[in-house]
Amino acid sequence: MASLGSSSSSGTEYIVRVPKNTTKKYNIMAFNAGDKVACSTWTQARMERDMSARRIYGEEETAEGAAGSEFGKKQREEARRKKFGIVTKEFKVEDQPWILKVNGKAGKRFKGIKKGGVTENASYYIFTQCPDGAFEAFPVHGWYNFMPVAKHRTLTAEEAEEEWGRRNKVVNHFSIMLQRRLREQERGEDDEDEGEKGGKKKKKGGGRGGDLRIHDLEDDLEMSSDDSHSSGGEDGESKPKAKKDAGKGKGKKKKKKGSEHEALEDSDDGDYEGLEVDYMSDDSSSEEEPEKGKPAKADEHPKGIDELSESEEESEEEKQNEEETKEEEEEDDGKKTPVQPEKKKKKADSSGESESSDDSDIEGETASALFMKKRTPPKRGGGRGSAGSSRTGSRPGTPSIDSGSTSSTLRAAASKLEQGKRQSGSATDTPAAKRLKMEPNSQSPAPSGKSTPQPASGKSTPSSSDVQLTEEAVRRYLIRKPMTTKDLLKKFQTKRTGLSNEQTVNVLAQILKRLNPERKNVNDKMHFYLTE
Amino acid sequence: MSEKGEVDLTGAKQNTGVWLVKVPKYLSQQWTKASGRGEVGKIKIWNMGKPEVTFTLNEELTVIEGIDTVAAPREHPFTMQTVGGQTLAVFTETSADKIALEGMVVQRAECRPAVSESYMRLKRLQIEESSKPARLSQRLEKAVATNYKPVANHANNLEYERRKKEEGKRARADKQHVLDMLFSAFEKHQYYNIKDLVDITKQPVIYLKEILRDIGIYNVKGTHKNTWELKPEYRHYQVEEKTDE
Repeated sequence: MASLGSSSSSGTEYIVRVPKNTTKKYNIMAFNAGDKVACSTWTQARMERDMSARRIYGEEETAEGAAGSEFGKKQREEARRKKFGIVTKEFKVEDQPWILKVNGKAGKRFKGIKKGGVTENASYYIFTQCPDGAFEAFPVHGWYNFMPVAKHRTLTAEEAEEEWGRRNKVVNHFSIMLQRRLREQERGEDDEDEGEKGGKKKKKGGGRGGDLRIHDLEDDLEMSSDDSHSSGGEDGESKPKAKKDAGKGKGKKKKKKGSEHEALEDSDDGDYEGLEVDYMSDDSSSEEEPEKGKPAKADEHPKGIDELSESEEESEEEKQNEEETKEEEEEDDGKKTPVQPEKKKKKADSSGESESSDDSDIEGETASALFMKKRTPPKRGGGRGSAGSSRTGSRPGTPSIDSGSTSSTLRAAASKLEQGKRQSGSATDTPAAKRLKMEPNSQSPAPSGKSTPQPASGKSTPSSSDVQLTEEAVRRYLIRKPMTTKDLLKKFQTKRTGLSNEQTVNVLAQILKRLNPERKNVNDKMHFYLTE
Repeated sequence: MSEKGEVDLTGAKQNTGVWLVKVPKYLSQQWTKASGRGEVGKIKIWNMGKPEVTFTLNEELTVIEGIDTVAAPREHPFTMQTVGGQTLAVFTETSADKIALEGMVVQRAECRPAVSESYMRLKRLQIEESSKPARLSQRLEKAVATNYKPVANHANNLEYERRKKEEGKRARADKQHVLDMLFSAFEKHQYYNIKDLVDITKQPVIYLKEILRDIGIYNVKGTHKNTWELKPEYRHYQVEEKTDE
């Protein structure tokens, strides 16, 4: 029916209809005015029921049919529930919340929760005006309050409590989520490469400085000098990368450092009690150093050991270990090649002297031990210990080798100095056990700022030089002149090589076996000699 | 064709404005009784400064079912309200799970009946009705004596005995036959109670137990307590990978 024209006193009349056959159910979508939702701006929208409550509400589904199921289980369960008066609420799809996604993946998300009690006492109707002027009224079926859903990451309850406890101490609140993200990264990577590079990646995360990390001895020992190169390189790279990922600028990093430091203050552990201060380091600059150190590290320009060790953001304890490990590596590398020529030269000079002199305590075991084959790990710790003092060893000959050897050995000497100061003896085992990181840059070229005594100081009797029982050394002796086993043993004194009597004997035996020198009898004694 | 979940946004784009009107219960009840095209009444809008709206209920709908004495009032002025604190949109859901946005609410209103004598009476009746308790205690004049009379034998019992006689004792069927039945039963479920098995196979218990001892095991402990299951070598379930029977 058409609407009437103006009836009484400037009012207009319209017919109201309540259609009967509606297939559509009308609902209200209520948004908070503060959210400033403008439906007309939406380009695309998707809405679905949020069924996540179903699994909470749904009964446990034990295996139905065949394996694992019992005959009549369901009925029994139901009877049991009734007996105990357990009433389980049904999962009604109608009452589940809606999830509204506007403008696709990047747009907003809303959750619409049904408001109860709307249709109990009064009914809501939607009045729409039809083209013919009449009004149509539709009853409202349900009312849903839609709230925007946070897309950003939030802290869980435990984390929130944690942060609350630290609220007075943490100044920079941006770092909270940052650290959380880093921790998650860290955890994610830990899962990936557990076995091999566990230690390194954990460092990469750089989370709160106090995570407990326990390493197996085998893992650490496996990390030989070879591995350390590559892994070290990675580490150097990954560190700046991690910083790039996490960092939003130096300021943030700094603050993060600040918060870390503050957090560290809180620790109740006696972790830092027995730490020994690095005398050569500059503590005041420790805060700036870490950051500068990191980009510097990536450049890999030569740095002093002290600077390097200092430029870690880990605890001092770890720094200590790093240094030790660095020394280890140096010694590993430097052991074979550079030291040998050095020692060779020394030996060459001193062979004449030491032959007659110096009692050897290995007399008895020489003969039989020669044919035994047993490898002994070189014990550098003891031997090196004696090299603490200045290394004014005889340095004749080729400068190139010397310089290379010098540097590493000088470094070794310097580090030995420190080591000697810090620890007492048995350097080998503890560094191996505590080795957390392989320092790559320790391998890199010579330390620049080391003021060590000049190596090429001409010949002089070696006061406390490292002597290594190697094939090369033995060969040299035997080429020069024929020697008996006794003489050879005298050359490689236990004090110098750091090997025990038995070990020396064994190693010497092995070497001789390999060299297979010629024998001749002089003065009723078996002499070995080699001809080049 | 819109896919499931896709919201039809035509109403939102057109910015169709609708009114949200709160209507009293009795009125909505009357409206459901409307005949024909659903005409329920007329609405009059005045625009004197503030818009004034009145709804007039159709004559025929004033008769309330169940209440003879009073009729529903006819005049209902609307109280207009603002939509301020909330942004209200209207969406519809069809039975086929299609969702469409119909429009935005531009005006809220409450339909109030014009206060009149008849309305008051009507309300009073309604209150009286609703205040009556759902359960009622009533006094009886005579004690009820028809319920539990002594009986020689209850009907239930008689029924039971008759059934039993009819069925007779369970006869031992062929062993192979019984085995077949058992295997087919165990195909459906893994664990069975002895009573259920007796029921299924209709065999005497002792005989059945003997057969079961052959091919099955009895679970004494665990989750499936006191149940029989087939021996592992006879089992052939999909989930477990065991050898065939």
